[in-house]
Amino acid sequence: MSAGNENGVRMDKFKNKGKDANELRRRRVEVNVELRKAKKDDQIFKRRNVNTLVDEATSPLHEKSQNCQAPRQWSVEEILAGVNSNNLDVQLNATQAARKLLSRERHPPIDHIISAGLIPKLVAFLGLESPPIQFEAAWALTNIASGTSDQTSAVVEGGAIPAFIRLVISPHPHISEQAVWALGNIAGDGSVYRDQVIKHGAVAPLLSLLAVPELSLFSSGYLRNITWTVSNLCRNKHPSPPLAAVQQIIPTLVRLLHHDDKEVLADTCWALSYLTDGPNDRIEMVVVQTGLISRLVQLLGSGEISVVTPSLRVIGNMVTGTDEQTQAVLNAGALSMFPGLLRHHKSNIQKEASWTLSNITAGRDSQIQDIINAGLVPLMVDVLRKGDYKTQKEAVWAITNFTSGGTVEQVVYLVQANVLEPLLNLLSTKDSKTILVILDAITNIFLAGDKIGEADKLCMMIEECGGLDKIEALQSHENELVYKASLSLIEKYFSGEEEEDQCVAPELTTDGYAFQISENQSTFNF
Amino acid sequence: MFITDIRKEFYDVVVNQRVALLVSSEIDALCACKILQALFHCDQVQYTLVPVTGWQDLGTAFLEHKEQFRCFVLINCGANVDLLETLQPEEDSIFFICDTHRPVDVVNVYNDTQVKLMIKQDDDLGVPSYDDIFRDEEEEGGNDSGNESDGGSEPSGKRRRYDEGEVERRIERQRATREWEARRREILFDYEQYEYHGTSAAMVIFELAWVLTKDTKDMLWWAIIGLTDQLVHDKITHMKYVTDIATLQRHVSRHNHRNEDEDNSLSIDCMRISFEYDLRLALYQHWSLFESICNSSYTSCNFKLWSMHGQKKLQEFLADMGLPLKQVKQKFNSMDMSVKENLREVIEESSNKYGMKDIRIQTFGVHFGFKNHFLASDVVHATAALLESTEKDDSPGDNFIKALDCLSRSNLERLHGGIDLAKKKLMAIQQTVASCICTNLILSQGPFLYCYLLEGTPDVKLFSKPMALTLLCKYLLKAFVRSTRNKRCKLLPLIIAAPMDVEKRTVIVLGIPPESETSDKKNFFGRAFEKAAESTSSRTLHDHFDTSIIELKMEDRTKFLDALITLLS
Repeated sequence: MSAGNENGVRMDKFKNKGKDANELRRRRVEVNVELRKAKKDDQIFKRRNVNTLVDEATSPLHEKSQNCQAPRQWSVEEILAGVNSNNLDVQLNATQAARKLLSRERHPPIDHIISAGLIPKLVAFLGLESPPIQFEAAWALTNIASGTSDQTSAVVEGGAIPAFIRLVISPHPHISEQAVWALGNIAGDGSVYRDQVIKHGAVAPLLSLLAVPELSLFSSGYLRNITWTVSNLCRNKHPSPPLAAVQQIIPTLVRLLHHDDKEVLADTCWALSYLTDGPNDRIEMVVVQTGLISRLVQLLGSGEISVVTPSLRVIGNMVTGTDEQTQAVLNAGALSMFPGLLRHHKSNIQKEASWTLSNITAGRDSQIQDIINAGLVPLMVDVLRKGDYKTQKEAVWAITNFTSGGTVEQVVYLVQANVLEPLLNLLSTKDSKTILVILDAITNIFLAGDKIGEADKLCMMIEECGGLDKIEALQSHENELVYKASLSLIEKYFSGEEEEDQCVAPELTTDGYAFQISENQSTFNF
Repeated sequence: MFITDIRKEFYDVVVNQRVALLVSSEIDALCACKILQALFHCDQVQYTLVPVTGWQDLGTAFLEHKEQFRCFVLINCGANVDLLETLQPEEDSIFFICDTHRPVDVVNVYNDTQVKLMIKQDDDLGVPSYDDIFRDEEEEGGNDSGNESDGGSEPSGKRRRYDEGEVERRIERQRATREWEARRREILFDYEQYEYHGTSAAMVIFELAWVLTKDTKDMLWWAIIGLTDQLVHDKITHMKYVTDIATLQRHVSRHNHRNEDEDNSLSIDCMRISFEYDLRLALYQHWSLFESICNSSYTSCNFKLWSMHGQKKLQEFLADMGLPLKQVKQKFNSMDMSVKENLREVIEESSNKYGMKDIRIQTFGVHFGFKNHFLASDVVHATAALLESTEKDDSPGDNFIKALDCLSRSNLERLHGGIDLAKKKLMAIQQTVASCICTNLILSQGPFLYCYLLEGTPDVKLFSKPMALTLLCKYLLKAFVRSTRNKRCKLLPLIIAAPMDVEKRTVIVLGIPPESETSDKKNFFGRAFEKAAESTSSRTLHDHFDTSIIELKMEDRTKFLDALITLLS
């Protein structure tokens, strides 16, 4: 997709509020999410391909660890004959054989099993009063549903959803766990099957599993599976999951958020990130939960990358909401975690943190002041200078929003923090939308400069760091908007010899050092 | 892959093709090239000759010719890096590589389709077995346990449940793979640790000519020069030299024998190669005996000619031989016949007395007609001097052609020119050695000796060239070992650095193994340079086909050296 397109969507997603700055607040762009999903699908796909190894039967390692079990593999035809027999033992053995075929790493014969018509039989076995065969059938169906959308469909069309929901509250934990897993695979396919699972009433039994006084009594695998399945019920948009179900689920998520298993925490945070990735009323449902934000802030500092990433996503989603919602995040002290995030060794974290800040700087000037007070401005300038390109782009948005919504005093502070040079350096990027955003920031800074009569000094600073050359070069840019914006800047601030002469006047050069932050001069002096 | 039948797998293939012949700038490569050119001439094979001085050059040459050519013959370059990775060729390009550089890159060894190595199997190659270093891609990838490995990515929407045994097996497999990888690293480390040289390219190509029964005396002579180059530039062990000399001697006898039944008379344009047990004195037949003794590494080091004492000893030596100074200092050609008659024996006798037991060495000489007699080492020195000429208006391309020309017997003029240049070069080397020793420019850095030629040193421009610097470095180390009293220092390798490009502010850095009679000539500096450059992010250029020769930014010299010291201590 073209950058222009992406940014078009971005412009549409700006949060609506009183003044211009509203336009600058941005929702997480849908396309990004879609991309991520595509990439994830790739990964699954890749993972399956990659995992292939020497045929298991011939692997010496296999022989070593497995020779006590029956090494013989059944053919699909034999399995078919087995499940159709009248003898429960034979049926069990055949089901187990099917499960084993589907559990091998290399090329599980999913399509073969489906086309042999085994699914209705397996679904029927879920309802038998024999725990072993229920378990084997549930496992086999889980693995079929783990495949492509078509393969998942085959399981759903076989009537598996209600059968699995009944098994969720099976007295046998291993069967319950397997049913939960299978429902997770089905719901994970997309919003259609997710809603079918919800409509069939999966939420209540799932949550009832967790309605125990002490979560730590569960085996970690069991709890992780339930959490993951619940997160899949919150996942995907178009449409988002039904409000009623979300309302039902959130309290449980809050509870899970206080558990100490990192995989449970990660999946819980991802679930919350799905729920907050939407309109403000959806965000509101999560924001109002007592203690939730402060717990998320705590997790932001946990240092566990698998937890930090989704919790930062939740925070980032929240500040795309209203000023009040943003304020709730700020009140919980989230900004105190950002120095670490902006300097994180993973560039992805830096990028998400910058994106979050860009939505906070799009808020009230008191919120901008919070960012200044948290000492984040120099770090943002650092990111602008040294971050990877995607991070720099987010930082540019943060700066532009800052200059648009900040007070003159705040903008002066920003300039004193040496934002100009790295900002202007990015004008050499190829992406014209980013160029426009930077030119916007420059214009805003000049507006502030005009108000205190310091535009000439700004001119000099921009010229000194080579920014003028870059702006001049943009006058021949192919994009008309870029050309117009740069032309208007040049015409307004950089034309006329007399003015330039003033710029190089000696008395001005002497207090050129006043631009440094260290100088504690009058605030209204750059 | 290694070619087993050079005729079938190489010559019969290229004989019907247009061939791009990429030749490295060194004497052995030139000789191999001469032989191959002669063969191509015989069979009217179309070829384009491109001299290459380094990897960048090779890359450019390949890019320029890849459209028109399918067959590339690489001489003394290309074997010791992954060629396909470096050049990124189309699938139908084929590379025939005749290269003395060892170790041969394992990918080149095990590529069956595009890389054909013309390398003698009896060389001690020690290539790790295929199964020790390669596994199917699929197997290797199998251990990434998907999302869990990369923390922070979104969980997968669907998950499959594996057998319990499957999980155990996966863990077991991961462990096995890790062990295998550790072993692989170890094997490769051992294999790639040292750089050394194998059988001369000229000899390999000569053998092809012989197999084709198209070998001539000229070709044989070039093969001899190729081997002698390896001796002069100290690339192979003495053992290897003696073995290969024996091989060549059999060819020489065969050729001489063949000519015996023809008329015995020597005509003016007749060529005769003879095995000789001659003196280790550089160019002495084209110089004065005195100057040759002064400027040959062997005699100069033994007398320690850089000292007054050494000069005195030389005088005594000459007196001992009973040769009048006047005779010794005049042109060798003009010496009295009576003196010359048993000169070698006289010199050998006195040398023995003065501790120079190895003054004589097995080599070959050639007669062109009556007048011109050259030792193989004379030709090597002359050709090297032409190839690395630093005269102002000579481009590397010109030098290459001149050096190639001087190998033809129709071009004796040029050869004599080369000999004059070589004399200047040898004198420059001896003077530099003397001044380095006398001013203690060789410093012990702990794990190695180090010598830096300052800008402004006489003849410093000459030493910006790899072969000249190599020769200087070898002679310098020999001289140092003779002169120092520090026993530990005698066992150290030597790194030398000299200004290379004054404008770009770079130096050429070269390392050689310790000096010893039994040295295996294996050089570990290539790897060490790479590592040191990496760890200090020094701006280095590893462009030379010998990995132990690099170019380095002058400013980065100190940190690079410090890293080397730490690395090798």
